[in-house]
Amino acid sequence: MLLYVLKRLLTTIPVMAIVALFVFSLLYLAPGDPAAVIAGDQATTAEIEKIRQSLGLDRPFILRFFEWGWHILQGDLGQSLFVNMPVRSMIAERIEPTLSLLVVTLVLAIVIAVPMGVIAAWKAGTWVDRVIMAFGVFGFSVPVFVTAYLLAYVFALELDWLPVQGYTPLSSGIGPWFVNLVLPAIALGCVYIALIARTTRATMLEVLQQDYIRTARAKGLALPGILFIHALKNAAVPIVTVIGLGIALLIGGAVVTESVFAIPGLGRLTVDAILRRDYPVIQGVVLLFSFVFVLVNLLVDLIYTLVDPRIRY
Amino acid sequence: MNALNFEIPPGTAIAVSMPDVLPAVKPRRGLTGFIRRQPTLAFGAFILLVMLFIAVFAPLLGTVDPTAIATARRTRAPSELYWFGTDMLGRDIYSRVFYGARVSLIVGFSVAALSSIIGLLIGLVSGFVRGVDSLIMRTMDGLMSIPPILLAVALMALTRGSISNVIIAITVAEIPRVARLVRSVVLSLREQPYVDAAIAAGTRTPAIIFKHILPNTLAPLIVQASYICAGAMIAESILSFIGAGIPPSTPSWGNIMAEGRALWQVKFYIVLFPAIFLSLTVLAVNLVGDGLRDMLDPRMAKDV
Repeated sequence: MLLYVLKRLLTTIPVMAIVALFVFSLLYLAPGDPAAVIAGDQATTAEIEKIRQSLGLDRPFILRFFEWGWHILQGDLGQSLFVNMPVRSMIAERIEPTLSLLVVTLVLAIVIAVPMGVIAAWKAGTWVDRVIMAFGVFGFSVPVFVTAYLLAYVFALELDWLPVQGYTPLSSGIGPWFVNLVLPAIALGCVYIALIARTTRATMLEVLQQDYIRTARAKGLALPGILFIHALKNAAVPIVTVIGLGIALLIGGAVVTESVFAIPGLGRLTVDAILRRDYPVIQGVVLLFSFVFVLVNLLVDLIYTLVDPRIRY
Repeated sequence: MNALNFEIPPGTAIAVSMPDVLPAVKPRRGLTGFIRRQPTLAFGAFILLVMLFIAVFAPLLGTVDPTAIATARRTRAPSELYWFGTDMLGRDIYSRVFYGARVSLIVGFSVAALSSIIGLLIGLVSGFVRGVDSLIMRTMDGLMSIPPILLAVALMALTRGSISNVIIAITVAEIPRVARLVRSVVLSLREQPYVDAAIAAGTRTPAIIFKHILPNTLAPLIVQASYICAGAMIAESILSFIGAGIPPSTPSWGNIMAEGRALWQVKFYIVLFPAIFLSLTVLAVNLVGDGLRDMLDPRMAKDV
């Protein structure tokens, strides 16, 4: 097992290296001359050249890539072009809201979607199944900001049940923190819930046809026990896979959700960075999210062995 | 006296002809038959055709210049004169939404077509040429570990906002998924006896790829392409919404919503109408995808 974890960790290295190469090329290809930007409007060509040399911008691509990579490994993501701050501290400042949003969405989505899929599979062909599957199609088709605006309009503006916008840090209490995150999390989670529910239903349909399910029913086990213990455990691998892969959807959607609900997280940071063409910040965020995504999927591979003892490495 | 025209020996008893127990099944043809057999596909295709009609004939459907600014009639609520209201610059939202259909459809279809073609080529090469397979697939893995929207955002940060740049950015983000799909189909097809037979018969590799492998990858590829089309429409609207997509002067559904963002709490209709059109179109494309999947691959139909 430990050997497998190490092996699996090793395989993520080339993947992350390719991500890093891509992200570095982004800065390399970015229009505009950082040296000229730093030198200011009044600078002469000689001065710009001097700054370029001092920054090492005149050296070959591959040399700069390895130097940049070495800094990244040490946790140095560079300096923002517009705010006089290292990218790392800018990200650190904004990470809590985004992380909170992602975690709450993830938990809510799993808690809602998995039972939905199980019930749809159990009641396959009935109106319950149809309603859930209709949601599965709609949830997948309605873009995140549409859901976000509709939810905010109905539950915050019209009914006034939940706050319209904003974010309360976790340090000021778990209640206010959660209340502020409910609407964004549901909006962001819709696509994800649809995806998980569809996959759960599909795999559960297959599992429910197995002999051991019939045996369990024949010996009189309670239905919830059969569905959620016997069947779900055997259907878990594809479900866990889709939960892991779907994180990419969540990360993309978080950028938009944060804009709609005015949450000061990494999504807002990304949007601001794009509008200002602050390449080091864009780089940092893309690199961080990709890293998280790769790690999550590594974790998914490890969870396989926990939910399904037949898988051994 | 019988139909077969030969003499029946006298005294022979002939069995009475049996009534038709099973009447011949007459498959319904034409449009009604299609709707009955593929209701999902038909419904999706219908909405999509309506959107296509709107996009093509936008200038003839009672629209005015979608970019005409008239500060005197800013943020009017929907009325007889302005069906969907007007935005912050007094532009007619009805016209902007109708013209916006063009952007969504162009982006959706272009990305679906481009990423399918490029992904197909990469997948075929990767599945057939052992030497480059692992290099290509590791590169694809790397690209796939960047969340697609972020990848597109990063690419858009390099260039000006324009329809063609948006198409390229989203296409790059979608290619790895197509390539993986095609490669996996190719790998399983390579094990098929008929491919072995073709190899044994001395068929050249290009002929095997184009005659025996390619046609069999098309069904899953078409289904995948329709989902990519839906995803690309959403991606375009997200890019435009956060200001990294189509330039604000061009009406696109994402842009209209972006402009309505500041005022959404008081003038909800500015975001409502483009939201309805976008959701409806994406839903239609997804339904077409589901329908095609059921039609092209009946084995998958029962699954999802």
